[in-house]
Amino acid sequence: MEPILRIHDVVKKFGEVVALDHCSFEIEPGTITGLIGPNGAGKTTLFNLITGVLEPDHGHIYLKGEKITGKKPYEIARRGVGRTYQIIRVFPKMTLLENLIVVGRGMERRLIERAMGLLRFVKLDEKRNDYASDLSFGQQKLLSLAQVLMPDPQLVLLDEPAAGINPTLQNDLMALIHQLNEEGKTFIIVEHDMNVIMNHCQNAIALNYGQKIAEGSCSVIQKDERLLEHYFGR
Amino acid sequence: MINFVEIFIRGLMLGSVYALVGMGLTLVWGVVGIVNIAHGEFVMLGAYFAFWVFSLLHLNPLLSVVFSIPVFYFAGMMIHKRVTERLVKEQELSALILTFGMSILIWNLAQFFWTNTYRSVAYLTGNFPFMGLVFARSKTVSFGLAVGITAALFLFLKYSKWGKAIRATSQNSEVALVCGINTIKMRALTFGMGIGLAGAAGAIVSLQWVIFPQMGGSYISKAFAIVVLGGLGNIHGALAGGLIIGILEAIVTQYLSAKMAQIIPSVTILIILLLRPTGLFKK
Amino acid sequence: MKNRIWFGIAILMIFLISVPFVASDYWVTLLTLILIFTVYAAGWNLFSGLTGYTNFGLAWFIGVSGYVSSLLIADYGLYWLFAWPIGATFTSFVSIGVGYILLRIKGVYFAISMVALTEGTRELFGTEYLSPMTHGGKGVPFVAGISLSTLYWAILLLAVITLVLCYKITSSKFGLRLLAIREDEQAAETLGIHTTKDKIIAFVLSAFLVGLAGAIHFTYQNYIDPSFAFSIHLTLTPIVMTLFGGVGTVFGPVIGATLFTFIHEILWAELTLLYMAIFGGILMTLILFFPQGLLGWMKERGILPRIRKI
Repeated sequence: MEPILRIHDVVKKFGEVVALDHCSFEIEPGTITGLIGPNGAGKTTLFNLITGVLEPDHGHIYLKGEKITGKKPYEIARRGVGRTYQIIRVFPKMTLLENLIVVGRGMERRLIERAMGLLRFVKLDEKRNDYASDLSFGQQKLLSLAQVLMPDPQLVLLDEPAAGINPTLQNDLMALIHQLNEEGKTFIIVEHDMNVIMNHCQNAIALNYGQKIAEGSCSVIQKDERLLEHYFGR
Repeated sequence: MINFVEIFIRGLMLGSVYALVGMGLTLVWGVVGIVNIAHGEFVMLGAYFAFWVFSLLHLNPLLSVVFSIPVFYFAGMMIHKRVTERLVKEQELSALILTFGMSILIWNLAQFFWTNTYRSVAYLTGNFPFMGLVFARSKTVSFGLAVGITAALFLFLKYSKWGKAIRATSQNSEVALVCGINTIKMRALTFGMGIGLAGAAGAIVSLQWVIFPQMGGSYISKAFAIVVLGGLGNIHGALAGGLIIGILEAIVTQYLSAKMAQIIPSVTILIILLLRPTGLFKK
Repeated sequence: MKNRIWFGIAILMIFLISVPFVASDYWVTLLTLILIFTVYAAGWNLFSGLTGYTNFGLAWFIGVSGYVSSLLIADYGLYWLFAWPIGATFTSFVSIGVGYILLRIKGVYFAISMVALTEGTRELFGTEYLSPMTHGGKGVPFVAGISLSTLYWAILLLAVITLVLCYKITSSKFGLRLLAIREDEQAAETLGIHTTKDKIIAFVLSAFLVGLAGAIHFTYQNYIDPSFAFSIHLTLTPIVMTLFGGVGTVFGPVIGATLFTFIHEILWAELTLLYMAIFGGILMTLILFFPQGLLGWMKERGILPRIRKI
């Protein structure tokens, strides 16, 4: 089956610093893949390249077989890619309902139905007319998940979804992700918490200094010496 | 036959004063984070200062240039403490509008009190021959003063404790904050320096050109062009930018017209912002 | 409740339409100015209040449209009914290009670039090279063959249309997208919003409305010259009016325009020379003490409900 995402020999530099160094990998549809590595390894840069916020200096990115290198962010988003940020970026001075409606496409009535459905899914429907800035940190994370799901993307990139929230909420969040995964969505999750990765992801890709240093199923990665040394021995 | 060297030197002389104004603006903008639209008005006030001091006290205008520096420095510090410090945490646009208001307030008060009558400081007259070319004495002395002040500024920035703090802040304000450098006091000092430079530039201008309340307008345009050219907060860049603007103005005035030269700042700003928004020069 | 609002609006409209019949020219003139600046302020607010891109080049819209329209009337004898829309349309067309180029620049630099554009155009219009067409810096006096009453009704119609448009847009998805641009443009883009297109549409719409009001403004003045047509005063005043009334609201510009024009009248009559100085002082006070504007202040105190539409 055609991989939903293919990164081919991608290089990204910021001045002298090489953020991504000839990185290549493929993501199969319907999987949950963890993206791990120390700070500065290039994980967020990779997300920025996939979503079109940045352009690679070399190499290409393919989405469902189509080359998306150099396309604008909104074009890539409309082709079925959603992404959340490490620092939550919902629209603070808009209500929850508005936060969802604004990113939907189509007739307003249907959008409201869909938005309400998603708010119920993340258990925030009662707060639909509150401003996003009034929510707690964890609630904002749930809102950003609902928001990213609104245009019904097939590939969802989550940047540290479990960070900064209590374990109960973490489990709820990951349960939601599994539910969506069973419905067919593909996830790439950046996480520092190895428990989250090992318990919830089928595969993992490890980056360090912009290079892919390991790739494979989680059980294999767990035993990889080189990775453990790089990740824990620094 | 117009000698290109003559135009070039003329441009340098013009540019040396513009550079003072531009360096003042970039200091305040880059270090304090305030976009001071009223910066041009302080040039105007500097010119009037020199004029009144000359007319009423008969003080040598060259001395008034020197005196304008501390006068405007302290005035700038006071204004910062009372007015602009409050806006440091706000978005830049608030400072933009506030200083717009201040600019309108200042030049209209100047117009009210001193009227629109053109004034001038007729002190340095006559010409100064130099290598076969002839330059007005007022412009040559002005150039010398501008060079002197610039040199003093750079020495201060390089060797004094506060100067180093300012340079650190303009290069990386977050790190400077953590080191405890970027305090209210330092911001007030920098703002004062910016205004001091503007006032001194105005006093120098009074030696060469006529003085009137709305004169600040053309200086702020050029100052913006210089800041954009040189890169925000980049003082060396502002020096270079000032000279460039001066030379461009001399060339365009000579070969096209003085009116066409008025377009230079606007065109410069648009081109730089579109093509190289961080400015021509690296830090 | 809603019926009462409609009733009130109907009464207001009847009153405004009948003014030329019942009141002296002084009042018609005053209301004309209020309405012109209402459109300027609302037009500015439509773009800048919603997208967060502070447009400091409003005078560019006004000046370009004013010049095209006024020159068509003065030099080519075109009837005002055609000259005005042509002026506004020309400005809108050019602003597509201007928007496409300049809206890539963010924040305070965008504001500066629009000022630079306005200043540059003003100087350009004053040069010898363009003066065969623009009459250089001398200014163009002209008469358009329109009565004060007709002009008043024209600007009244434009103001009503503008406010209705602002209300509809603020409640629409398009308006929500513009707000998203203000809140977080990059996040909006990665969520699938075509921010460039939406920004430019809002920019061009603003240009058209403001330009049309500008054409009317100069016909009312029977005179145009570069230093007034492109003056920073024409950019700042509508912005201050909107700030005073409340940015991003529909009625903020209206309240601001009305109050400020009255204040201007009083100040001008009593303290002509100091008027501008006081204006500058008011501007400073506003920023320091009332950053949210009058409507925002009232909302915070609970005097008004916190609906974005108003």
